[in-house]
Amino acid sequence: MVFALGAVGLAVVLTTAAMLGPSRAVGPVQTRSPAPDEVVAKVDPVRTVDAVGPARTVDAVGPSDAVGPIDADAALAAALTAARRHVEASRRQGDPRFLGRAQAALAPWWDAAAPPDEVLLLRATIRQGLHDFAAARVDLDALIGHRPDDVQALLTRAVVATVQGDLARATADCARVGALAGELLGLTCAAPLASRDGGARAAFDRLGALTAAAPRGPVAVWATTARAELARALDDDRAAERLLRAALAVTPDDPYALAVLADLLLDGGRPDEVDAMLRDAQAETLVLRRAIALRRLGKPEAAALAARLRGEIDASAARGDDTHLRERARYFLDVAPDAAMAVAAARGNWNLQREAIDVRTLLEAAAAAHDPAAAAPALIWIDAGGIDDAVLTRARARLEGGR
Amino acid sequence: MTAGRAPRTLIAALAIAALVAVIGVGPAAAHTLSDGYVDLAIDGRTVTGRVDLAARDLHDALGLDGDRDGRLRWREVEAGADRIRGYVVDHVGLRSRAGACVVTAGALAAIDRADGVHVAVAVTARCPGPADPLTIDYRAIFAIDARHSGLIHVHGAGGSAAAVVRGPGSITLATGDGTGVAGFVRAGVWHIWIGFDHVCFLLALLLPAVLYRGGARAPDLGRLGGLGGAAGAAWQPRERLTDVVREVLGVVTAFTLAHSITLALAALGWVQLPGRLIEVTIALSVAAAALNNLVRGVDARWAVAFVLGLVHGFGFSSALAGLGLPGRGLVAALLGFNLGVELGQAAIVAVFLPLAFALRRTRLYRVFLVVASLAMAGLALHWAFQRAFA
Repeated sequence: MVFALGAVGLAVVLTTAAMLGPSRAVGPVQTRSPAPDEVVAKVDPVRTVDAVGPARTVDAVGPSDAVGPIDADAALAAALTAARRHVEASRRQGDPRFLGRAQAALAPWWDAAAPPDEVLLLRATIRQGLHDFAAARVDLDALIGHRPDDVQALLTRAVVATVQGDLARATADCARVGALAGELLGLTCAAPLASRDGGARAAFDRLGALTAAAPRGPVAVWATTARAELARALDDDRAAERLLRAALAVTPDDPYALAVLADLLLDGGRPDEVDAMLRDAQAETLVLRRAIALRRLGKPEAAALAARLRGEIDASAARGDDTHLRERARYFLDVAPDAAMAVAAARGNWNLQREAIDVRTLLEAAAAAHDPAAAAPALIWIDAGGIDDAVLTRARARLEGGR
Repeated sequence: MTAGRAPRTLIAALAIAALVAVIGVGPAAAHTLSDGYVDLAIDGRTVTGRVDLAARDLHDALGLDGDRDGRLRWREVEAGADRIRGYVVDHVGLRSRAGACVVTAGALAAIDRADGVHVAVAVTARCPGPADPLTIDYRAIFAIDARHSGLIHVHGAGGSAAAVVRGPGSITLATGDGTGVAGFVRAGVWHIWIGFDHVCFLLALLLPAVLYRGGARAPDLGRLGGLGGAAGAAWQPRERLTDVVREVLGVVTAFTLAHSITLALAALGWVQLPGRLIEVTIALSVAAAALNNLVRGVDARWAVAFVLGLVHGFGFSSALAGLGLPGRGLVAALLGFNLGVELGQAAIVAVFLPLAFALRRTRLYRVFLVVASLAMAGLALHWAFQRAFA
């Protein structure tokens, strides 16, 4: 009798719940009360009070600034300084949020058709960082149109053109950089293009000679990382690892070099080293690689880290932002395998960017889904470009072997 | 081997799940673009919910790191609570069709999200007319982060609606067609489920339904110490389910009858009472029903349900009026809403009754009766005070 009542009760509850649909007064995430001493965020202590002054919160600064007559040049200079600081922080920490901050700093000029050149360059850099490559390209074309010798602009356009698959433009821009700022910078700029038509070995050797002659400075570190990637394409992971560790000895937290080294270690069956190396990493690209390592090691923290990545994926999907497609594809490949989702993300990513890692991601997603046809664009890309890259060759062999 | 592994895997999975539940996403914050969340429930002219913004975004907007050590502690968030509340009220505006709603920001809590700790600010709003559809004017954080997004969720009698705001501006969300009879039924269910005072009233009356008072009729506050079976304990478990069902039916029917009468009277415009008086009286009715379990007052709880239930009907009518009554089909709307209220009530009874019947002989149940009644009485008196003087 009691059970019958219980059953009826359950039925009534379910019916009523169904009527209310997915309505819920509170979201699925629960609130809590932290202890007073809990650190809830790491923040920039320079902000607000020191940088802007206590009476002026950032809200008060903007296009409709009512704070008072500020000299226009001084306002521009201050905005450029703030935006550069944010862009640099974003690059150093691998945190795209700073790019939103940088854009906000440039708000009065952001929508201008012809903003000052300095703004144009920063706007392009921010847009590139947020994967709005087409808009970045328009800005860079305009800027280089009247400042053809701007090395920074040429370097940025080479990166954007590479991602867009406009390799002729990228090659030309890197050559111009070499003529303007020296062979080391020019060759480093062109390194990602070198594995086309068998140029990887020559680029690797020449970059080695140049860095040996001038081993100090940020360009040398960048060149060393670029050389490491060439070594991977040449199937010399030992040299690649040595070079990456040399670069990281100078800039230990560089998220880009860390990601390249993590991939090398994962490919070499050394997930424990990846786990140790990335324990404190925060950038999404690095958290992702540590999650892969933990999963391979069968460690219990893997679930928590996977859940956190999933939260990010869901949040960016809710936001309607596709800047994380590359990471999303990798997540569905190696963290929470779902071949169909991986292929969808990898194809979406392919429409957005075409670096070597994007080629690899599409090949691996297609292999996981046993759907070689899905990788067709990547295969055409490799064949048409005459690309000779050991990492891609292995990925392709897995795809075609699994047919 | 496989047989041995399966349970161990299961245990491990459960342990991990528990761990994840406890530690949430952990203290580390991943790096993503900035998001803010607005989650609102609409009930007639009232909107309740929360606005949550990343602690690090709030710091950048307001400068919360008082000691400037680069670590924002919860203490520092609380020290800036008034500024945070002011910021939320200034940057999240709500508007019903009839005009702007008065938004107030309340308690602060923390939420762990993928990008770190967010500060959740409870908000309530009073609107001049039905708040569904609701216009949300969202301007938070954009001034410091141009790539911020506001993720807006609205829940109401018609279901849920969601939108993403990518720059300062407003969007209007409707939870669905609340004007049909089905809409009014849903509104009724919704109202009783989120109307905590009605649920408390019903529970206060139903908790003793599986028991009866033995012994002489006398105030038995003094016997509370004798809970759990000492000689002369007032509450005895009822033996037969039919007695329990009769008791429950009596209470529920009397409550339904009473609030249906006053709901109809008020909705048809025949009786009008000031809203504050109704709200305070409803709170007092909850207190009275709960106290009746602690001090032996009226044993015939169906009578209590009827007399005090009359005032709840007036409460329902103001919720119904908040939905915007149709000119035509008023009676259908009224019946629909009332049916929804009954359904919501039936659901509560259906959960409560089997549980209570199964536990009626336990000492735990009698302790729970006293504790819950005390808690409800205290809470209800607190509401009454708040509603009378706030």
